[in-house]
Amino acid sequence: MASASLTAPKVAKRRASSLGDRIFAMLCQAAGILVLILLGALIVELFIAGLPAFRAFGIAFVTSTDWDPVRELFGAGVSIYGTIVTAILAIILAVPLAFGVAFFLTELAPPWMRRPVGTAVELLAAVPSIIYGMWGFFVIAPAFAQHVQPFIIDTVGELPVIGALFQGPPFGTGLFTAAFILAIMVLPFIAATMRDVFEQVPPVYKESAYGLGATTWEVMKGVVIPYTRVSVVGGIMLGLGRALGETMAVTFVIGNANRISTSLFGPGNTIASLVALEFGESEIGSLKLASLLALGFILFLLSFAVLATSRYLLRSRLKA
Amino acid sequence: MAARLGQRRKWADRIMRALCISATVIGLVLLASILATLFYRGFEAMSLRVFTHITAPPGSEGGLLNAIVGSLIQSLLGTAIGTPIGMLVGTYLAEYAKNSWLGNAVRFVSDILLSAPSILIGLFVYQILVLPFGGFSGWAGVAALAIIVIPIVVRTTEDMLQLIPNTLREAVVGLGAPKWKMIILICWRSAIAGIITGVLLAVARVAGETAPLLFTSLGNNAWSTDLSKPIASLPVAIYSFAGSPFEDWIALAWAGALLITLGVLGLNILARTLLRSRI
Amino acid sequence: MSLSTETQNATGAAKSFGGMQARSDAALNSARIAISNLDFFYGDNRALKGINLDLPDRQVSGVIGPSGCGKSTLLRVLNRMYSLYPGQRATGEVMMDGENIIADSMDLNALRARIGMVFQKPTPFPMTIYENIAFGIRLHEKLSKSEMGERIEWALTRAAIWDEVKDRLDRSALSLSGGQQQRLCIARTIAVRPEVILFDEPTSALDPISTLKIEELIDELKRDFTIAIVTHNMQQAARCADQVAFFYLGELIEVAPAAQLFTAPKHPKTQEYITGRFG
Repeated sequence: MASASLTAPKVAKRRASSLGDRIFAMLCQAAGILVLILLGALIVELFIAGLPAFRAFGIAFVTSTDWDPVRELFGAGVSIYGTIVTAILAIILAVPLAFGVAFFLTELAPPWMRRPVGTAVELLAAVPSIIYGMWGFFVIAPAFAQHVQPFIIDTVGELPVIGALFQGPPFGTGLFTAAFILAIMVLPFIAATMRDVFEQVPPVYKESAYGLGATTWEVMKGVVIPYTRVSVVGGIMLGLGRALGETMAVTFVIGNANRISTSLFGPGNTIASLVALEFGESEIGSLKLASLLALGFILFLLSFAVLATSRYLLRSRLKA
Repeated sequence: MAARLGQRRKWADRIMRALCISATVIGLVLLASILATLFYRGFEAMSLRVFTHITAPPGSEGGLLNAIVGSLIQSLLGTAIGTPIGMLVGTYLAEYAKNSWLGNAVRFVSDILLSAPSILIGLFVYQILVLPFGGFSGWAGVAALAIIVIPIVVRTTEDMLQLIPNTLREAVVGLGAPKWKMIILICWRSAIAGIITGVLLAVARVAGETAPLLFTSLGNNAWSTDLSKPIASLPVAIYSFAGSPFEDWIALAWAGALLITLGVLGLNILARTLLRSRI
Repeated sequence: MSLSTETQNATGAAKSFGGMQARSDAALNSARIAISNLDFFYGDNRALKGINLDLPDRQVSGVIGPSGCGKSTLLRVLNRMYSLYPGQRATGEVMMDGENIIADSMDLNALRARIGMVFQKPTPFPMTIYENIAFGIRLHEKLSKSEMGERIEWALTRAAIWDEVKDRLDRSALSLSGGQQQRLCIARTIAVRPEVILFDEPTSALDPISTLKIEELIDELKRDFTIAIVTHNMQQAARCADQVAFFYLGELIEVAPAAQLFTAPKHPKTQEYITGRFG
């Protein structure tokens, strides 16, 4: 039986344990620094590996549209164009859809529906990109070639000016198809970010607008969107960052041609698809390999700029 | 006048609602279409052979056994290496460097790595592990996947640790516990469900990664579990089979795609239910 | 005692009130902890101003005052909890056993083992009842299994919760009610066998019956422990405390034996506060 009285505390047994504290803190900090080193090394390694290409072609590497392994002439122009066009087109296609989904999930859907639908949209984000690639290649591209593209070419393609973007033979593959697949891939990311920031709007604001007799859409337009504008743009930038570097899905459907065609239905290249496709056929030490790594470096700069902006917009808002 | 204005506003509201509902329906239809295609073509091609035979030339009886095993090995090892590092970094951010400049820098860089194109991580590992050490190897693939795992685990670990109230930390420290024991024995323990969720999501993410493996573990049509040599993986096998002109290879690619999607979505759903059941 | 009164008069901050402070030390024991000229800063904000106060050995010191008066801050100084947060610092002297608690050289873990703390809200760890108590003990001592069992029974008995939990020591501590959780936290604190126990509004989150149990417990514990209790509730201070200190805006306005402070306060501010005119 434990006695009710207290024996004197044994002071002697207490031992200093600051050593463990120091070791653990150092471990954590070292891991943190390792992350810094990883990104730093990634930048430096890609730059050094691409240096022969930058040396051989100078700044013109960025704008040159050559990609001629025989004559050893390489340029990033076509793939940078393809990367930016597909990514931006994908965002243009995805944002309205993502907004609709986010609006539906936060304001319109009955509560029992929010979780399953939200989960379904999030699962769309979890599907590996190679699956999108196969689906795009075997399902979307044939459908586009037989139905969608002929229709658009016959209608929109006949319009002046804008029609030039939608002409040419309906291959099925090409920039437009790549952008379409990319749009589906980034849709869940943008929708999830938008939903999260919409949910952060304090109910008081919305209630006061409803109290004035506003409709749901007016509350969205007048209260929620102005309140969340910055983060919404941040979410869109996040999607853009994903779209820029997406590899496998694009590689399947971009058509892989090294030319800039005026039509969006024409085949093209993105940095990522070019690297994925040509890497295996490049010899170690060749100028081609260096050019591919230089492309990687450029892709890094592009996505870094976009992701850093996105993060700034998303984090700055969260703090406020 | 006022009534007509009210009518217009009402119609605008109805139209926007209809558009948003359509957008959601489109999103769901797309998901359904992907899954339907996968299930249809995948189950058509699925057979026991997929799990018992290794990849073989077109026309002969081949399966995906080596690719499945290679993917399991690389994904699990990559996660096993990336997780402790990610946990330490997340712990550093949440417990040691909340507002320090170094902490902010690490948080920023980790966020960038989280969304950086995975193909670049493949190129990076090619430069540091493949070129200097004489060729493609399973270890290079594992390293690339580990680099992808780290920022995912960093994010969930930091988020989960931030949910722990400071009073709990003070209660531990108030007993005379050193900080490292507080973190390991109490904070990690409290955050474990969330961290496991993050790890499961990380496995799901790397299991489907293709681009970084193209330049690291390369793929291997023969049976090999030797990590110092090129090793097969499901995504890379799918990639090379799907792009081939052979019917039986394309069928195998669908079977592999179905397997990987089921695995990835299963892990996602498991992670979600786990997190929900603990909160 | 006389020394501390002198220093009180010597400091600028205390001077304006110094003349008003008449401590009748007839019923109070000698000081276990002697605080002199204590200042505390949250960054640039001075939260405690020139505090001079003795905590009598094996008696209960109640600390009262309106919100933000610095009473909780005082407890956080005594076990150096503030050291967890950068930007918080204390100057002056807090003497216990000839050592200055707030000196940089102090071994904080050992200090916190000697000065335990019970928090406003119960802070059970996410583990079994047994493990909750054993956690603190293991930090400081190596006990055999039977010794551990005895110690845990002793602590739970002293915390008046043994009968309620003895059959379910392996159940999660989170399954207990709020009042039980708080007594568990008290048991956890005394299991480490501290010399001083700090209670930071220990009953503010509890129902009246649990509150009464905790108050009885405090009364019982003072036979062995020196106790300081911060409370919003003046009746609680009157019931539990031998000595009561009234804080206002970071200053110690008045300290006296409980009966004296509540029946014949010397300072008009104290008078106003205990008659409910503010706070």
